[in-house]
Amino acid sequence: MTGMAETPSTEPDATTSAPARRRRTAASPAAVPTAVAPTAAGQSPEAAAAPGFVDRGGAWCVVGAGPHGLSALKALLQNGIEADGFERESDVGGNWNFGAENSRVYESTHLISSKPFTQFPDFPMPDSYPDYPSHRQVKEYFGRYADHFGLRDRIRFSHDVIRAAPVDDGHAWDVTSLDLVTGAETTYRYAGLVVANGHNWSPKIPAYPGLETFRGEVLHSADYKGADVLRGKRVLVVGAGNTGCDVAVESAQHAAHTWHSTRRGYYYNPKYALGRPSDQVADRLLALRIPLGIRRALFGATLKATVGDLTRYGLKRPDHKFFETHPIVNQQLVYYVGHGDITPVDDVDHVDETGVVLTDGTRVDVDLLVLCTGYLVRFPFLEPEWLNWRDDHPHLFLQMFTPSYDNLVVSGLIQPDSGQWTLAHWQGVLVARVAEALRVRPAQARALLARSAAEADRRYSAGADYKDSTRHYYEVAHQDYLRALQDAIRALEVSP
Amino acid sequence: MSPKPLRRKTVAMRPWDWSFPSPPVAHREVLSARPTGPTARPPLLMVHGVAHGAWCFEEHWVPTAAERGWPAYAVSLRGHGGSGGARHLRRTLTRDYVHDVLQAITELPEPPVLIGHSLGALVAQLVAERYPLRGLVLLTPAPMHSALGALAAIARDRPTDFLGAVVGRTLSMEPDILFEGLDAATAREYSDRTGTESPFVQWELLLRRRVGPVRCPVLVVGVPGDRLVRPADVRRTAAAYGVEPVWFPGMGHDVMLDTGWDRVLDTVLEFAADLPAWGSAPLR
Repeated sequence: MTGMAETPSTEPDATTSAPARRRRTAASPAAVPTAVAPTAAGQSPEAAAAPGFVDRGGAWCVVGAGPHGLSALKALLQNGIEADGFERESDVGGNWNFGAENSRVYESTHLISSKPFTQFPDFPMPDSYPDYPSHRQVKEYFGRYADHFGLRDRIRFSHDVIRAAPVDDGHAWDVTSLDLVTGAETTYRYAGLVVANGHNWSPKIPAYPGLETFRGEVLHSADYKGADVLRGKRVLVVGAGNTGCDVAVESAQHAAHTWHSTRRGYYYNPKYALGRPSDQVADRLLALRIPLGIRRALFGATLKATVGDLTRYGLKRPDHKFFETHPIVNQQLVYYVGHGDITPVDDVDHVDETGVVLTDGTRVDVDLLVLCTGYLVRFPFLEPEWLNWRDDHPHLFLQMFTPSYDNLVVSGLIQPDSGQWTLAHWQGVLVARVAEALRVRPAQARALLARSAAEADRRYSAGADYKDSTRHYYEVAHQDYLRALQDAIRALEVSP
Repeated sequence: MSPKPLRRKTVAMRPWDWSFPSPPVAHREVLSARPTGPTARPPLLMVHGVAHGAWCFEEHWVPTAAERGWPAYAVSLRGHGGSGGARHLRRTLTRDYVHDVLQAITELPEPPVLIGHSLGALVAQLVAERYPLRGLVLLTPAPMHSALGALAAIARDRPTDFLGAVVGRTLSMEPDILFEGLDAATAREYSDRTGTESPFVQWELLLRRRVGPVRCPVLVVGVPGDRLVRPADVRRTAAAYGVEPVWFPGMGHDVMLDTGWDRVLDTVLEFAADLPAWGSAPLR
């Protein structure tokens, strides 16, 4: 499945001079930000440059103050690299900043992965948090992380990055931000750019025929904030992602009746198995290095023992093996199907004035259509070709590095089958190591980044064949992906 | 044959931590004293050794450091001092102590200077490879390259103590083992305050461990006449970080309690005062 790790690309030896491509200047003397106390930096150190333009010298820019932006910013600063963050909201948290315009969490959101792999490994969640913290606790956690590492002073809040462009033959990036309070536009020049603007904010809305004629309400899950909109209505929930299942469960608790439309049958993993959070149980098998086939068999046995035969409940039989789709972790959905509060139905064929006609010809009259149909990845301030954009999505080495520029990195473009922020931490570490190596050991950095063309299509699926590729463009098997990150980090370390 | 390096590259894969996380403890004792005025100093977090508790730092170091302008904290590991978890001490592992210290760190307002004594110094090194400390102080550190040699010395000098440790009894914390200069009554009083240690943690001291990248400055303090950690072990620990140990002759193993504790604290505070700002230290 995976590409050959050490295959050289078609490019010339990266350690020799290859001036045609994205060369950075070797360690410039200005690029040593000596000992700036994290808390003492104050606001933007705007120099006496022309109005609207600030040259930040060797500093790096981090767009977004969600978990990936925070971890990248912290790792850069920790490694002695000056860095500024930009965040369009007035607080950290990104998607977890409940109530913010681009936050996609809802009132009842809890983590679906348990703490150990979900937390930053160097800043564990407090012992007082439960196995599956709520979105409020998660946001508080990110706030404490930012405070502890002195990151807030390094972030320009309420600043929307509207444009970023490479200058000086790719040696630097000009980042233009709009101050959402004053309306002022300023351009900052950076040595590198980390893009961590999230990938779950731009709603993907399916083009059902007749959707515009529907006289009921249509709501994308992006705008779903709580169960109030469901109360007493006949609701059809579309999509069996984790949000779709959460909304279907909430609808079962509050609506008059709920129909749940899915394209195929899925596995509904319980949050607890064998008395432990189920992701911890699964990681035991990985710790023991059990091969995929046996893990599938053990998973099947566990699911059979806990959830049982899904078709008995009226759900469709899964048409794929374990680990071929993004895991759904929801213990309640099957329960409510079993209680008749959720009627599982086929895919939507078309919509008319009063309801929905399904692919099997059944029609369902509903008041409210909740589309839990996912999100599109968008980088509104970048040109797609800079990110090796083909077939409607970027192709990046380690899902981070583009063949076009050494100093343009995307963090957070991953959808792991596990918790996320352990990976966010190590992506941040890799960003910092790359930034550091580009400065002090450029040949070593380029030797690593030279793989970005050859390995742009490499997947980290641990041997599984992902179904339905558009849904799984960014899917990674956490152990497979983290091992690749670890290898990349080690490649940039001097031997102990 | 040259000894294998005690340092290693970054370790991101920790499947056992993900699948068998340390159980939380109901209560974690953190004793602290803060300077009266505002301070720009980073916090100091102190971690005790075998069978001790935060009390051993509370006695002199925590209040004195605070008087000199340092926010000072001392944590009791689970099953020790005033922390919970005594009931489960017999199945506690070193990794649980690492968890306890990380938890205590996340409660601090900013990255601390971590000060570990003896077993606590081993824990501190395991914390340092995971967390970006301001500085790392190792006081008479338990050897990460295995305490086999130290155990052989104990077997020779105190065979009963050795046999007890083999079957899981706590190592002897008698006054003559811990102290050199204290008067007999005080030494006895401190010795009586020590408790029990997890047998697994003591056995784990025999493991040879390797520590990943540590980017903060390191200070190693040794005592030539130490009856638990041999000077050769201290030298080897220091060498792993490329530093020379600072020696305090005439003292016993418990450098934060024995006569002369103030001189050791002076050295530690001097080291801490010279630390570069967080994040600006070069790779070690």
